Amino acid sequence: MTGRRLHPFTLLAIAGALPALAWILPAPAGGACTAAVALVLAASLGLRRGLWPAVLTAAPFWVFLRLLHDVPTTLAIGLRITTMVASFVWLAATLAPDRLVEATVARGWSVTAAYLFAATITAVPTLRGRARRIVEAQRCRGLSPRGSLGNRLRALRALALPLVLSALHDVDERALALETRGMVSGARRTPLAPPPDSAVERAARWALLVACVAALIWRLK
Amino acid sequence: MIPALRFDGVTFSYGAVAVLHGLSFAITPGERVALLGKNGAGKSTVVRLIAGLERPGEGTVWVGDWNTRDCVPEQLAWRVGSVFQHADQQLFARTVREDVSFGPRALGVGEQEVERRTDRALADLDLTAHAGHHPYDLPPALRKLAALAGALALEPALLVLDEPTIGLDRALRARVTRALLDRSAGSVALLVITHDLTFAAETLERGLVLDRGSLACDEPLAGLLGDVTRLEPLGLAPPPVAALSVALDLPGRPVRAADAARALARVARGRPGP
Amino acid sequence: MKSLTLERVSFWYPATEAPALRDVSLEVAQGDIVALVGAVGAGASTLLLAAGDLAPRLTGGRIVGTVSRRERSAIVLPTPWTQVSGMAFTVWDEVAFGPANLGWPTHEIARQVDRAVERVELGPLAARDPATLSGGELQRVIIAATLAMDSGLVLFDEPAAELDAEGARALWRLIRVLAQEGKAVLLATSALDALPDVADRVVWLEDGAVRAVGTPELLADVAACDAGLGTSVATVWGASGLPGPYPLTVAHAVRRWR
Repeated sequence: MTGRRLHPFTLLAIAGALPALAWILPAPAGGACTAAVALVLAASLGLRRGLWPAVLTAAPFWVFLRLLHDVPTTLAIGLRITTMVASFVWLAATLAPDRLVEATVARGWSVTAAYLFAATITAVPTLRGRARRIVEAQRCRGLSPRGSLGNRLRALRALALPLVLSALHDVDERALALETRGMVSGARRTPLAPPPDSAVERAARWALLVACVAALIWRLK
Repeated sequence: MIPALRFDGVTFSYGAVAVLHGLSFAITPGERVALLGKNGAGKSTVVRLIAGLERPGEGTVWVGDWNTRDCVPEQLAWRVGSVFQHADQQLFARTVREDVSFGPRALGVGEQEVERRTDRALADLDLTAHAGHHPYDLPPALRKLAALAGALALEPALLVLDEPTIGLDRALRARVTRALLDRSAGSVALLVITHDLTFAAETLERGLVLDRGSLACDEPLAGLLGDVTRLEPLGLAPPPVAALSVALDLPGRPVRAADAARALARVARGRPGP
Repeated sequence: MKSLTLERVSFWYPATEAPALRDVSLEVAQGDIVALVGAVGAGASTLLLAAGDLAPRLTGGRIVGTVSRRERSAIVLPTPWTQVSGMAFTVWDEVAFGPANLGWPTHEIARQVDRAVERVELGPLAARDPATLSGGELQRVIIAATLAMDSGLVLFDEPAAELDAEGARALWRLIRVLAQEGKAVLLATSALDALPDVADRVVWLEDGAVRAVGTPELLADVAACDAGLGTSVATVWGASGLPGPYPLTVAHAVRRWR
């Protein structure tokens, strides 16, 4: 998976540039192009890990948009949202949080900020794991996830509530627990294995930034 | 009499990793069984198979006369109350009472029956005083008890518990023991995974020891817990009361604290004075 | 040499009227193993948080009295899944997380991590992904991670909760070794039967206050047995009506019996 071999900042640059360009460039062509690229990236993770979650997450937005707006607006905004969703799904799967922190530390920047960002990414698989455990526990108490709409909504509540409550409860505990692992602000962390960076990638990142700025200037004229 | 639970030559693998090999045993209604073994021996997998969360690769798991292959977990909830490890993370309702009543309500037994089952489960674990509290306002130990109450409220024929006493002090463990003994007297079968052999001695009567996915041992706890030569190769050690009985050669080799105390008193009375 | 001193410490969690700790005084010297025992909610966990400079700094709340530490402390919480960094893909990296955060040079990190991994017997698990480990395995990883930080004061909150019998025995052995190396150890545990072989001193907490302090013999006191805090052997002896003092362990009981 090439994603893992690109420098974390490159991954961030791509995942940031796509949505930025989606919003900057004229709709619907701009959004369509970026959405296509983002979906291809997500699809590169595989159907189950990438494309399906991206599509599933973006779908409800399309429904709501269509209820509120006419077709052209729906298309314009929908494509932009799809770009954001697909980019994030791709990023969450390819960005190794430890490599991000290592890269940040190697640059001498604050480790806490990098960690917080990385923690958001890792929160996804952690929450997914916990959600699965909660669904299992509730099913073993007779909760059926199938059936009528009323049933499914009840099922959703029985899943969402414990997930959110225990996640919030965890955040509290984790903030404390991480301090116990030496994460004190101000201390300089030792990079254990800073990810290699290449001139090509650095150039590519600058190019993406320049492209976004240029597009912005062009749109504003 | 149909066993409450029967494993028939059950083999199971997670992907390429074989976890259970030809596991066979049966539990009758009212029987209290400990599932023992080192970490990684396959005990939690047994629980998942019983709850219907996994299907055996080979062999059959029978819950009463139901083949788990034909059932989904929400159906099995009619017969099995399962409490997994870290069950305190599954609580969600606004109050303990609401959470405990979730199970019977999901089964659709009627409001009056839901109330009765909930009240009984809360009373059995001395949680009635906390019934109106928010679950996350309780310390983790009491949350564990609330999760257990949720399973009791299902009033199933079989209770399967995975490490129910982690984090509990002696008083709370005694509550769990009392509640489980009470249910078992009403013909509920118990299968409890535990590495707390003292709790097993107090609460359960038969020991199934899993070693690397196979049944290494299936016999009454009373004899097993005092036998160092059998326990040692399984990574286990006799719990203190059993060890005391053996060391002092108490009649009947009791493994439960109350029995040992009585035996000790009897023997002491019969001994010549100093 | 005193590693940790608490002088008349009282502590209130935020928005709580009743104090979680009441006028607690405690000392732990280098090479000492002090065990905190008590019912759930007696304040042992809170006391460890205060000793580790986590309460009130991170928990909020109010503290009265003084807590003085002569050296860095490290704590093993009863919930290893909250202490896991979430950022390491191997156990080795997980153990290295703490030392790296402390800014040590790489060779020193490697030395400490290798040593910790060896001492907690994690060799076979070193390349595994922490996310795939069981609760017991994870707890051992966190213990190693805490040791790798090489603190002079090590705090343990129910460290054997998730461990099986063998794991627990290995842990008590390790704690004795730590004390022999001069570390100060403060540990909260409900594994009362293990304490006679592990602890130098036992502190009985009740409702946030120190009810009694003594050698592990304290766990054979009539009062302790009545409160459910006696060892199994002492409790059985007491329940049998035999006169005190009650024996602490099977070995003690055998000697008394003869």
